[in-house]
Amino acid sequence: MSARSAAREFFDHMEAGEVDKLLGMMTPDASVSLVPLAVRGPMAAGGADYLRELATAFPDLLIRVRRLFVTADSTAVAEITVDGTQAGDFLGIVNTEKHFDLDQAWMLEVTPDDRISAVTAYWDQNQLYRRLGVKRLDKITITAR
Amino acid sequence: MSAGTMPADASAASSETIAKATVNAFFDAYRDRDVERMAELCSDNADFRYVPFEVWARQRVLHGDGKVGTVGKAIWTALIDAFPDLTNAVTTIRADDQGNVAAEVSIGGTQAKDFGVIACTGGHYDLPHLFLFHVNDDGLIDDLVAYWDNVHWKNQLGWLEVD
Repeated sequence: MSARSAAREFFDHMEAGEVDKLLGMMTPDASVSLVPLAVRGPMAAGGADYLRELATAFPDLLIRVRRLFVTADSTAVAEITVDGTQAGDFLGIVNTEKHFDLDQAWMLEVTPDDRISAVTAYWDQNQLYRRLGVKRLDKITITAR
Repeated sequence: MSAGTMPADASAASSETIAKATVNAFFDAYRDRDVERMAELCSDNADFRYVPFEVWARQRVLHGDGKVGTVGKAIWTALIDAFPDLTNAVTTIRADDQGNVAAEVSIGGTQAKDFGVIACTGGHYDLPHLFLFHVNDDGLIDDLVAYWDNVHWKNQLGWLEVD
């Protein structure tokens, strides 16, 4: 396997909500930084919690990898589009069954034995709120139907 | 590298080194708030996409998507006008041997004018960004994409509306 195929497998598991399989690709001490959520720490804690909530809230989740390259230090850099239809509350946003699509960028640091040791993700949470009907940043539980 | 120098001069350097040098020169120019020099480091028809940049008007949505020479320069100029002390710090930079570069950059500034819907309250922000570039064989940027979180940005500037 290569860093490129590790990244594709990572996003396949993410799309399928297979969080345990995804964690099985990581080193035991793998870290995560989900920049817009200020989640920083062990992948097995905050990272896994986020991915489980994502899979539960959007059971029809689709992930399209739009661009993927691997840098000299074996970091897979991916631009992806995530889309799905809300079926449960998500990050405090009440479910109004809206569809969302959101462009994101992820960096996966891959070890020589093809395990992922660090994950960093960027996206605009404001775009997510807009698509799911949130109107104010201080009242994200209030959504427009 | 000196300001504005085309990194392709370093013929012996690897494409990875050249691409990183171009991107570092771009952020040096951005730190100097020199939009013309930023644009000079890009090819004539370079693509530009600021992913979170969406302006929702009544009839249409404007996206930060187009060319450096038109959309990019206009956004950079407007940002520098609204945040005249705008600065940046490159925190990580990675490249492959095909001209692709990923740079994590902290950008910050103090608001001196309204910017879009964000009314000026004199607030200061510091915001992590991820920039993805492609640098061509001439050592010029021909594609630029950026990601950041507008919630974090607006919260720091005291603007709490999603739109």
